[in-house]
Amino acid sequence: MSNSVISVISRFLEEYTTKTSNKLKVVDAYLFYILLTGALQFLYCLLVGTFPFNSFLAGFISCVGAFILGVCLRIQINPDNKGDFLTISQERAFADFLLAHTVLHLVVINFIG
Amino acid sequence: MIYLYIIGVDMAQPRVFCLVLLTVALGAQALTPSHHLSLSDVDRLKGLLSQPFTDLASAYYSIVGLSKLGASVADENDACQFLKAQLDPMSVDSLFFAAEASQAIADCEMPVFNETRDILLAAVSEDSTVTQIFRAVSALSSLGLPLASQEVVAALVARIAKEDNVLAITTALQTATRLSQQAELGGILEEIEDLAARLDDLGGVYLQFEEGLEATALFVTAAYTLSDHADTEPPLKEDQVIQLVNSVFSKKSWDSRSEAFSVACAAAALSSNRFHVPVIVSTQGPATVSHSQPILHLLVTDILSNPLASANLLVESAQAVASKSVVLSQAPFSLRNGIFELNFMASQPASGYYQFTVAVTGDSRLVANQVELKVKVSTEVAVTNMDLSVVDKDQSIGTKTSRVDYPFKAKGSFTADSHQNFAMNFQLVDANTGVELTPHQTFVRFHNQKTGQEVVFVAEPDSKNLYKFELDTAERKSEFDSMSGTYVLHLIVGDATLENPILWNVADVVLKFLDEEAPAAIQSKTLYMPKPDIQHLFREPEKKPPTVVSNTFTALVLSPFLLLLILWFKLGANISNFSLSPSSVLFHVGHACMLGLMYVYWTHLNMFQTLKYLAIIGSLTFLAGNRMLAQKAVKRLASK
Repeated sequence: MSNSVISVISRFLEEYTTKTSNKLKVVDAYLFYILLTGALQFLYCLLVGTFPFNSFLAGFISCVGAFILGVCLRIQINPDNKGDFLTISQERAFADFLLAHTVLHLVVINFIG
Repeated sequence: MIYLYIIGVDMAQPRVFCLVLLTVALGAQALTPSHHLSLSDVDRLKGLLSQPFTDLASAYYSIVGLSKLGASVADENDACQFLKAQLDPMSVDSLFFAAEASQAIADCEMPVFNETRDILLAAVSEDSTVTQIFRAVSALSSLGLPLASQEVVAALVARIAKEDNVLAITTALQTATRLSQQAELGGILEEIEDLAARLDDLGGVYLQFEEGLEATALFVTAAYTLSDHADTEPPLKEDQVIQLVNSVFSKKSWDSRSEAFSVACAAAALSSNRFHVPVIVSTQGPATVSHSQPILHLLVTDILSNPLASANLLVESAQAVASKSVVLSQAPFSLRNGIFELNFMASQPASGYYQFTVAVTGDSRLVANQVELKVKVSTEVAVTNMDLSVVDKDQSIGTKTSRVDYPFKAKGSFTADSHQNFAMNFQLVDANTGVELTPHQTFVRFHNQKTGQEVVFVAEPDSKNLYKFELDTAERKSEFDSMSGTYVLHLIVGDATLENPILWNVADVVLKFLDEEAPAAIQSKTLYMPKPDIQHLFREPEKKPPTVVSNTFTALVLSPFLLLLILWFKLGANISNFSLSPSSVLFHVGHACMLGLMYVYWTHLNMFQTLKYLAIIGSLTFLAGNRMLAQKAVKRLASK
């Protein structure tokens, strides 16, 4: 059983490193960073407590929001998905990403207290 | 109906407010006056009118007003000289005041000039005001000069049509009283009824003009004077007359001489006209009779508090309020020294309150001559058959009963502990008739001399009017705070109809309670002491984790950024494609500004300011970014 899991994972990693373009890897690195940041914030909350709760929420939602927007960007700029996003060029995807982030930051800063 | 509530020992004069409320609340079958001028009020009125006068008008009000009340000015000769000196023979008003005032003084004649008559007659025309006509006509009549009544009537009728206000019509009525009886006064007489319709009814108690007291009083005077003069009964109903009386005589201190004058005239008119004379029936002191004072005294007067010459007072019925039985019927009062007396105790009434309906007869002019009074019959109470006993709860030991006589105290003290009850039986009887009484207040009071505790219970009568009181020591221990000790026992008996309320120290009772959990200090004493201060506790700030921990985690949270940079470096991400076109520079600068704005928002600004700046920077960044991305797209597509 574990054998198959390990083999799946190693196969996945191999495919990933060879098949994905650099651009996407850059975005993936960014997503990984966001993930780590959010996880560490959550860990702090679990260990130390929720005070101040609004700040924790602001930080956590920021990570979650950024991750989601990053995922959207990755989907939209992936050339394999071009068929789904005929009207949206790469630049347009990036511009949307920036705009959404502006709104997200506004809300997060408002809430951070 | 007037209800004179006399409760207690005070109250010589009925309380106006109480009466008004009661009269309104109980409705009126026949209204009786709630206000009139008592002797002190009349004196006050005379006092106001007797003040020294400085001009003809005030002289007129004082002299004529006082004469209406049956008094006169201090120095009549002086007054006469004053009138003669102040007279201005060219002025109608001056002639009026002087002439009328001089008529009220004996042996005072005003000089009459040739021109006087012409001036006065000239004033009687359709072109003068009603007041002018009135003054001219009165002056002519007081000075004994001839005048043509029919012309006056014509002028008055014409003026009434033009001046349709209350004072003008009242003045016209007054004018008509000076004309000859052969003149056609019918039209003017009808004005009385029209004016009466303009009166405002206040709560069914008062009837007055909105123009005020003076106008109402002058109307009353004019209506009755004219009715007497024309020998026609005024079209005012009995209730209206009483309501007018209430309005005119409710005010007991008057603002001006003219107001006092109008009240004096109204009082004179109502006490001596040929048709309606309101009668006032009042008690002398509280309306209470008892064995020591068996006679009920009543005064029958007119509104000036003058006793009526020919009046007879009769009790139509006297009914007990409690039992509704009629005790007396059709009994006449006897007159002695101007006061009507009736020996009510001769009918042997039981103590309590009685509703009297009295009627004043003897004069057909009397108005409001049926009056309702509440009379109290009081008596003295005696406590008999007072038996004190300590009863064992399980009745195994016989009771120990001792008889105590009022006003002595029981010889020994009574002891009751938790197994026993303390009992008291007694009877309350009327000292004079021996009838059993049930007064309102029968209290049994226990007073602990040492601790100051006072516990009061109510003793209640049973069906045979025997009073019983039983103290269950165990059951009632909470009221005594379980304090054992000697309690002094008092019996308190009181009632409005009792002349001798009783406070009798009957005995000493030693009460023994089981558990002495009572605190040493008495609760009641601290009830009214200031309570302990409450210190306000400000909200404690929440517990924060130690700075070390938060600093550690801050570093930890920021560390993935380093990891990101390393990963990007490893992937080979670079900025070699960075074109230095103005739009891209502007875009990056604008974007950096937006991020800086976020920081400034966090530290300084509020949402509105931020949005404002964001709009500016954002639009610039957008335009630049749009340009830059378009260029990039073009480049990308070209390189494909």
